[in-house]
Amino acid sequence: MAEIQLADVFVEMADTLVDDFDVIDFLHVLAERCVQLLGVSAAGLLLTDQQDTLQVVAASTERTRLLELFQLQTDQGPCVDCFRTGRPVSVADLPSAGRWPRFTAAAAEVGFAAVHALPMRLRSDIIGALNLFDTKAGALDEDKLRIGQALADVATIGLLQQRAIRRRDTLTEQLQTALNSRVLIEQAKGVLAERLHLDVDKAFAVLRSDARNHNRRLSELAQAIVDGSLHLPPATASSGSG
Amino acid sequence: MNADRRMRLWRMVIEQAQGRPFAVEHVCVAAISATGVDSAAVSLMLRATPRETIYASDHVASELEELALTLGEGPGVDGFAGSPTLVGDLTASHCLARWPVYAPAAASAGIRAVFALPLQVGAIRLGVLDLYRAGPGDLDREQLADALVLADTACALLLDTVQRDPPRWDGRWPERAGPHHPEVHQATGMITVQLGVTAAVALIRLRAYAYAHDRRLRDVAGDVVARRLRFDAGDGGEDRSGS
Repeated sequence: MAEIQLADVFVEMADTLVDDFDVIDFLHVLAERCVQLLGVSAAGLLLTDQQDTLQVVAASTERTRLLELFQLQTDQGPCVDCFRTGRPVSVADLPSAGRWPRFTAAAAEVGFAAVHALPMRLRSDIIGALNLFDTKAGALDEDKLRIGQALADVATIGLLQQRAIRRRDTLTEQLQTALNSRVLIEQAKGVLAERLHLDVDKAFAVLRSDARNHNRRLSELAQAIVDGSLHLPPATASSGSG
Repeated sequence: MNADRRMRLWRMVIEQAQGRPFAVEHVCVAAISATGVDSAAVSLMLRATPRETIYASDHVASELEELALTLGEGPGVDGFAGSPTLVGDLTASHCLARWPVYAPAAASAGIRAVFALPLQVGAIRLGVLDLYRAGPGDLDREQLADALVLADTACALLLDTVQRDPPRWDGRWPERAGPHHPEVHQATGMITVQLGVTAAVALIRLRAYAYAHDRRLRDVAGDVVARRLRFDAGDGGEDRSGS
């Protein structure tokens, strides 16, 4: 991994943070960059819903099978352990670890052998975790773990950046708003999939490219699509990418 | 662990209902007891009227709902806009600046703390659950978690009472409304197009279908997303199998 690439990513993130950004879009880009920088197969960001459960808010790819795998870790899995202890969890080879049988089986089905989880911390609070999956078994080296943790910290900063966080109530506002935005985006994916006869997994790319092309926030666009106040023409679908 | 919390709170709601159909008032009473507040209210955002209070546990709650409606400001109004608004002390200077008319008026009505929790599922905004306390102070972590679960319960109850008889306790736990498996929300979006209805109606139909067929919501949603199940307009929203 080239140093310049790492610097580029942090410059990109810093640029976003000083602008008026959409938190789901920001976390999605961060998850994509984790995959590129750390050489893993997939990355996801999970946040606490403050009701003892983690919810996936962004992932490097929007394959529903992958989203379900992240979401499966509501009661068991490396991510839950990381969230509960506040410490990184790194599993180089899931089957031989012999823990979390249900999660291990589901991960194997999607083709993952190794999994890592890094905590998202805000002072004494753990607000979520960065979850990394790899199709090849193997540990993440020290350097990559450090970079991964830095990216998890950037995710936390991004999530909380819009207001100074002094009290838990403001943290609650940010967390709940991010979680609800995620629900909104799933609803918009469903609308687009049905309207444009697309696979749901492809709908996110359409949504995101339209938001970028028209310089709109992802969640505002999603709201307009679900309300029916905006229809994306089918032409947008074919030009959708990334 | 989340299931334990939901079950404990749901038992409180069942106890309140005492065999009668569940209503938001039972959720409000459970919320008062679980979060240590003095009163609670639920207001809905309906198309015909900007805001309508459907339940207030006492005179003070009712007065404060009315105040928010009249002034168009306050934590409950901000809660409507989609973000939980938790105010441990209305007389704090930043609160007086944020709600210059509401905050002093609420304080003189004897209320120092207001916790407004939106009743929403993504794009679907039903209303707000407002909790009121005479004494100042934030909700602690446990109280906040309970309040969020109960707001979700109120949301589920509102969605489920539209199309079928008000639910009674029949041994089945109601499905949660908010954060769920992604397919539930994807299916909701697909059904809005299939039936030409709002997202709220789409989710109501999806939940009613799962309930009527005694299936898990996420399994039915999975069938919709995989296009094994379609909702069709014109026959009361009953399904036919897709190809």
